[in-house]
Amino acid sequence: MSEKPKLAMYWASSCGGCEIALVNIHEMILDVDAVFDFMFCPCLLDTKIKDIKALEDKAITLTLFNGAIRTTENEEMAHLLRRKSEVLVAFGSCAHEGCIPGLANLHRSEDFLESIYVDNPTIDNPESTYPLPECDMPEGTLSLPEFYDRVSTLAQVTDVDYFIPGCPPEPHQVRAVLQAVMSGEDLPPRGSVLGAGSAIVCEECARVKADKKITRLYRTYEIQPDTEACLLEQGILCMGVATRSGCGAPCLEANMPCTGCYGTPEGSMDQGARMSAALGSIIEVDGKGLSEDELARRFNKILDHIPDYAGLFYKYSMSSSIMKARRK
Amino acid sequence: MENNAQHEGNHGGQGEKLKTSVYFCRCGSNIASRLNENAALLKIECQRDVSKVKAVNLLCSEEGKEFLKNDIMEDRPDRVVIAACSPREHELTFRGVLRDADMNPYLMQMANIREQAVWVTEDIDEATEKAVRLVRAAVSRVQKHEPLEEHEIEVCPDVLIIGAGPAGMKAALSIAQSGRKAVLVEKTPVVGGMPVLYEEIFPNLECGPCMLEPMMDEILHGEYSSNIELLTLSEVDELLGFYGNFVARIRKTPRYVDMDKCIGCAECFEPCPVQVRNTFNFGLDVKKAISFPFLGALPNAPYIDSRKCLRFIGEECTMCRESCPIEGAIAYEQEEEMIERKVGAVLVAVGADLYDPTNIPNLGYGKALGVYTSMEFERLLSSNGPTEGKIKNMGGSPPSSVCIVHCAGSLDENHKEYCSGICCQTAFKFNHMIESQLPGTRIIHLYKELVIPGKDDFSLHHEAKDNPNAEFVRYEDIRDINIYTPGEQENVQVDYRDASGREGSFMADMVVLCMALTPPAGSEELALKLGIPLDSSGFFEELHGRLDSVQSKVKGVYLAGTCRSPMDIQKALDQSMASAGYILSGLVVGRKLEVKPTVAEVDADRCGGCRICVSVCPFKAVEIDGETGKSSVNAVLCQGCGTCVAACPSGAIKGNHFTREEILAEIIGGLR
Ligand SMILES: Cc1cc2nc3c(=O)[nH]c(=O)nc-3n(C[C@H](O)[C@H](O)[C@H](O)COP(=O)(O)OP(=O)(O)OC[C@H]3O[C@@H](n4cnc5c(N)ncnc54)[C@H](O)[C@@H]3O)c2cc1C
Repeated sequence: MSEKPKLAMYWASSCGGCEIALVNIHEMILDVDAVFDFMFCPCLLDTKIKDIKALEDKAITLTLFNGAIRTTENEEMAHLLRRKSEVLVAFGSCAHEGCIPGLANLHRSEDFLESIYVDNPTIDNPESTYPLPECDMPEGTLSLPEFYDRVSTLAQVTDVDYFIPGCPPEPHQVRAVLQAVMSGEDLPPRGSVLGAGSAIVCEECARVKADKKITRLYRTYEIQPDTEACLLEQGILCMGVATRSGCGAPCLEANMPCTGCYGTPEGSMDQGARMSAALGSIIEVDGKGLSEDELARRFNKILDHIPDYAGLFYKYSMSSSIMKARRK
Repeated sequence: MENNAQHEGNHGGQGEKLKTSVYFCRCGSNIASRLNENAALLKIECQRDVSKVKAVNLLCSEEGKEFLKNDIMEDRPDRVVIAACSPREHELTFRGVLRDADMNPYLMQMANIREQAVWVTEDIDEATEKAVRLVRAAVSRVQKHEPLEEHEIEVCPDVLIIGAGPAGMKAALSIAQSGRKAVLVEKTPVVGGMPVLYEEIFPNLECGPCMLEPMMDEILHGEYSSNIELLTLSEVDELLGFYGNFVARIRKTPRYVDMDKCIGCAECFEPCPVQVRNTFNFGLDVKKAISFPFLGALPNAPYIDSRKCLRFIGEECTMCRESCPIEGAIAYEQEEEMIERKVGAVLVAVGADLYDPTNIPNLGYGKALGVYTSMEFERLLSSNGPTEGKIKNMGGSPPSSVCIVHCAGSLDENHKEYCSGICCQTAFKFNHMIESQLPGTRIIHLYKELVIPGKDDFSLHHEAKDNPNAEFVRYEDIRDINIYTPGEQENVQVDYRDASGREGSFMADMVVLCMALTPPAGSEELALKLGIPLDSSGFFEELHGRLDSVQSKVKGVYLAGTCRSPMDIQKALDQSMASAGYILSGLVVGRKLEVKPTVAEVDADRCGGCRICVSVCPFKAVEIDGETGKSSVNAVLCQGCGTCVAACPSGAIKGNHFTREEILAEIIGGLR
């Protein structure tokens, strides 16, 4: 075996985009390979779990763990890799804050199984057969990982050393973090967020900001936004104000609103709550002489333009929000 | 930190237990008799983080405070919880005790077990349970408290006063009398505001110019006038800074007459070849391009109307200079100046305007002959006005009938919803003046409501009511009045429907429209420059309509007179004195300004410069740094309301003493 420090990357409940993000560092992947023994990555390499189990504890120097915790298998792997790794990093939004898989917390797991396996136009399942964690067959018992009721973040099931936000993390940030690790420089205290800023996306957004007062909201297809002015000021729900900086605001440069993938800002506990508080503060209704009912009606009329609160405000951070999931 | 650091060892480090003392006040029998004290004390004592509990009879009494002080000095706790009454009642008291005991006063939290527990239920068990929970919440919260320090800043005691009407002048005088500087900025060439234009002033019918003359003289040449810097033809262009430390930039347009040299002899008027409409008489007559606005105007120096003077439209003319006996008094070379003044407070006293009568076309203004606004009629009554005080139509003869329309544009949802307050008295003043100059003139009052409050205002009303030639017709809607000139006639016809629906009609030689009082022209612009809000009617908005009607929403900017709301001179002067009182007691020479630590603070590292905080701050306390684009809160202006803290989407703003950690700890403690 090589003397090089070991590098692992694992995907739990995720889409594979984080692996692409790693490869997206382009030629630098060669440096990474030169410095590390990249020894485990189910998406790219054929190492087996038994090989990992066979390692001594803390044998892996750095594990980039992406994906949320949705099944028993996800959680087992989280514990295993925690044990085997010196440094465990929650890589990408799913592992960090739950991301899209976390939105499942707005529904019950039975509902998912039903719409995937039964109530679905492309499925023909007259007997309503569901996948089961265990199933006895003549050849023996078959087992599947169990589907949890709730999607958790990595840190909710095991100790995490660092967090790299983003859906997926931006290549320049991945590069910066790997560079730091490879050069052996001191990393910030455990528990810190790496590869991101400490402010909000607006800090990196080049658009001109003025005082904010919104009298109506637009969905992106309803307006041709000005390319220089702040999108939120134009009534487009840009999550940049309530999203951690670090991405470099590429969406804004492409004239698209931020959807919030870098997650909850450093100073905050709940991205969606922050966004709604901010929005509530800047929506303006000319209330002169209006009754309370009429005021409420006008406010609601503006808010009716938000089709899906949770999906918009908690797209990336449902699992780590204060509520974490729907209650009943 | 020092205070806390004296306490033996344990202060704030993670995992270290803070020594937390709970003082339980019985409030005589107020609290003691309404809960189970022993049970409560027992439960509090075994709460997490509580080091000791002591019950005291009356903690706010002299003995109570002495006990508290000594106990703290002896025990040196890291944190103190006082379970007693509302913090609104005694938080400052107990903070003072902590200070005396050499402990940072912000390391204390009160649990309001009186108003919020024992006074809201008769049930002893419930009261006990809630009191215990409130204490637990306070104990949990106080662990997170940070020692906060009050500090002081230097202030400038001088004052900027905008508008030299009665309100502005009165305040300038009292500021000057106290030995402090007042910069009095007036837009027009004269001081005195609206009332110098009135012949007589209600309710006592004193002569307007005579009444104001002593005040104006004092401003210009009185004992304290050296403390007043009067800047006429000037307007505030920009106001920077904050309470105690404002910088005002004032744009002074040239008078083209040197006020120090001119003796006001008026020799220059006659030779001036240009005639202009006199705006001070609302265009009812003309004057020369160099002239006084009216006879007796102060300061006693004419001004050149540069929009009309030949020199300023490209022609060579030096007639006024040639006729002037004083070398250098006519100063064509004067230029617009930008003047900067440092002041500690600002008083806005820019007065009011009349509602534009052409907004109500059926009143015939500008179309029918002999229809005047109340201000124009004041000038007709005035001995220094266009008719030298003779009531007559321009060029015509004295009227034998005058119609006075009250409430024109007031109390009207299509125009101004409020009552302008001064029109009834103005109309009765007119009634008196018409009757005494032209006895027997028929006077028809068309009114919507009559408002005659106060101890002085009835007499003119009685006089009008008792006048056999005066008639009163009540209407409901201004649209029920139609004023026009029928055919070739000289006088006007007034058609009306009265409040009971009866229609009527009469001819009048003259009509006076008592128009609503409105905020002055340019107030939106001025409000923006000063950073203060206007209310829904467009007047300058007060901090609180009852309790603080002369403070604006921005600390250090005060309001007086009709720019705040319609009012008469008495009230305008009361307000100007109230403002002066605030200023004199708030900004004291030689005393520094205390800055509270319970304000919002921005963590620049976390701020992304989105500006939401700027948009929501009601006190204009948030600023954006031009270079970094990040926001910061001015601790002098911040009132600690927490609006920006809640609105900041990046969580970069912390409300001192109401941090997220403190509030969360309080909630968790209360629910545990
Ligand atoms: C027709 C009429 C008759 C009245 N008769 C009486 C009466 O008999 N008795 C009575 O008690 N009340 C009377 N009032 C009410 C009285 O006029 C007001 O109460 C009084 O004028 C208020 O004084 P003030 O100083 O607030 O404002 P004003 O007298 O309006 O003075 C404001 C001053 O500010 C100046 N100014 C305005 N904007 C600016 C600016 N941007 N920068 C610098 N300067 C500015 C103006 O030029 C003016 O000099 C009458 C009102 C009307 C309309």
